[in-house]
Amino acid sequence: MTGLTALLKKEFKEQYRTHRFLIVGAVFALFGIGAPLLLKLLPEIMKLSGETALVQMPPPTAIEAFGQFASMMGQLGVVVAVMVAMGAVANELRHGTAVATLSKPISRAAFVTAKLLAMSFTFLLALSVAALLCFVYTTWLIGGASASAFLQFNLLQGLFLVFCLAITVSFSCLFKSSLAAGGLAIAVIISVTIMSGLPIIGDYLPGKLVAWGASILSGPAQSYWWAMGVTVALTVVAVYLGQYALKTKEI
Amino acid sequence: MKAISTDGLSKHYGKAIALDNLTLDVPENVVFGFLGPNGAGKTTTIKLLTGFSRPTAGRAWVAGEEIGDGNLNVRAKTGLLPDVPAFYEWMSGREFLHMVGEFFRLPGTEIKRRTEELLELVDLKKAADRRIGGYSRGMKQRLGIAQALFNHPKVLFLDEPTSALDPIGRREVLTLIKQLKQHTSVFMSTHILSDVERVCDAVAIINKGKLVTVSSIEALRAKYARSTFEIECLEDSTNFAEKLKHISYLSDPEVVVESGTQLLKVRALDIQQARSQLPRLIAESGLTLSRYEFSLPNLEDIFVEVVNGGYAK
Repeated sequence: MTGLTALLKKEFKEQYRTHRFLIVGAVFALFGIGAPLLLKLLPEIMKLSGETALVQMPPPTAIEAFGQFASMMGQLGVVVAVMVAMGAVANELRHGTAVATLSKPISRAAFVTAKLLAMSFTFLLALSVAALLCFVYTTWLIGGASASAFLQFNLLQGLFLVFCLAITVSFSCLFKSSLAAGGLAIAVIISVTIMSGLPIIGDYLPGKLVAWGASILSGPAQSYWWAMGVTVALTVVAVYLGQYALKTKEI
Repeated sequence: MKAISTDGLSKHYGKAIALDNLTLDVPENVVFGFLGPNGAGKTTTIKLLTGFSRPTAGRAWVAGEEIGDGNLNVRAKTGLLPDVPAFYEWMSGREFLHMVGEFFRLPGTEIKRRTEELLELVDLKKAADRRIGGYSRGMKQRLGIAQALFNHPKVLFLDEPTSALDPIGRREVLTLIKQLKQHTSVFMSTHILSDVERVCDAVAIINKGKLVTVSSIEALRAKYARSTFEIECLEDSTNFAEKLKHISYLSDPEVVVESGTQLLKVRALDIQQARSQLPRLIAESGLTLSRYEFSLPNLEDIFVEVVNGGYAK
């Protein structure tokens, strides 16, 4: 991992200077605020439409607000992660900046790892801020929020996001087209999510983390530690394959 | 120790042969020109020598280190300016050089000192804090040279370093390259022959992936010194040119029109004999001589002939 520290410094500086920190943070913060706010204001919005006689809305609950947040993070959050990560290596290969860096005593493994670590940091920080905002707004607007369940959900969601980033960065090492990398990453992520619904095998797949997190929000839930272990293992494998792809690539 | 040494280096892309059995030694502290027309295999060779591409066959050593997968020692001893240098455009020139210093794990004070030294050397001090995205092509080229020199490389690879520069930019870069050979061996690929004549000590000519010749420029001239005589007469010299076709020590007589004047050019296969006999032949032809000149071939003539197979190795 020669040069990892210098590369990490460059990656963080890039995320700051290209406003990636700000953009990801703002989008996630919007999810955090939007979920409880939307739920709280939905009856009012329905009233404005003049359909109050037909739709009787029950009062919103914290579980519903968190569920809404989980749904946003599980879909839009993942899409944002893929979009940000899909050009991580591919764009550097296409624009030639990878040559500028890799002509120095920098290992290709460090090049890939630094990108994943910096992006994971950004997304985990953004998720933490979004979760905090969601919790505060839910407590304030709706009440009855359980901090413990919400924290557990966010830990699982964070791990799933890192897995998605690793898959995307790995594909980004394979192609000079960021769209190809992003498209393949989305296909893999959708596949593992769908396959988590399969009997037996589904309990061991990363997609189960999302379902596990959602069920924790509703009350005591069955644990899927194997799915967590497999997700960590697949993340490591994805990083290794990305490093290997770049090592063997002719630039 | 040789700066660069290759042994049967080859690169194939499927059936296409980009480089075929290149065996080459480049001495230390010279500016070595690697010449060839577009698509000859120059960039492929540089990619192989800098480890960005793997050879199909053969081996290569740069600064005493064998080129191979993940050999970072080579990178610590070499510098590379790609044909189209790319930078992180959100950075300033100073930041970029500072980052390069960190890649070499130099102490902070040394990074700062070297950054300022290089900015001065490539004349970018005034623009050092501007975003690279706003730099001109020439400024980027100069920044590219600065980043390639950061580690005082033993071997510096320059891929077409002047191809996109205006005449002033070219002159500046060539002056810089000339200064470098005191401490560095420069391997410069180019197809601009006037640049080679100005800065290179030795050249290799490559065509269609094959090495055609390796030589110092003086030796190349001497080796291929099939000199040309230029004869200008007041009368039409076409018939005389026809007559010269049958003279054994002369070849390729041709009549050309340059600046509205008819000129007879003829090559000498035996210079001594041509020098002694040609004036007599002109006198016997009855033509009125207005100019008679003997010229050695320039590098461009040699290059064109070598690439077209006019000269045997």
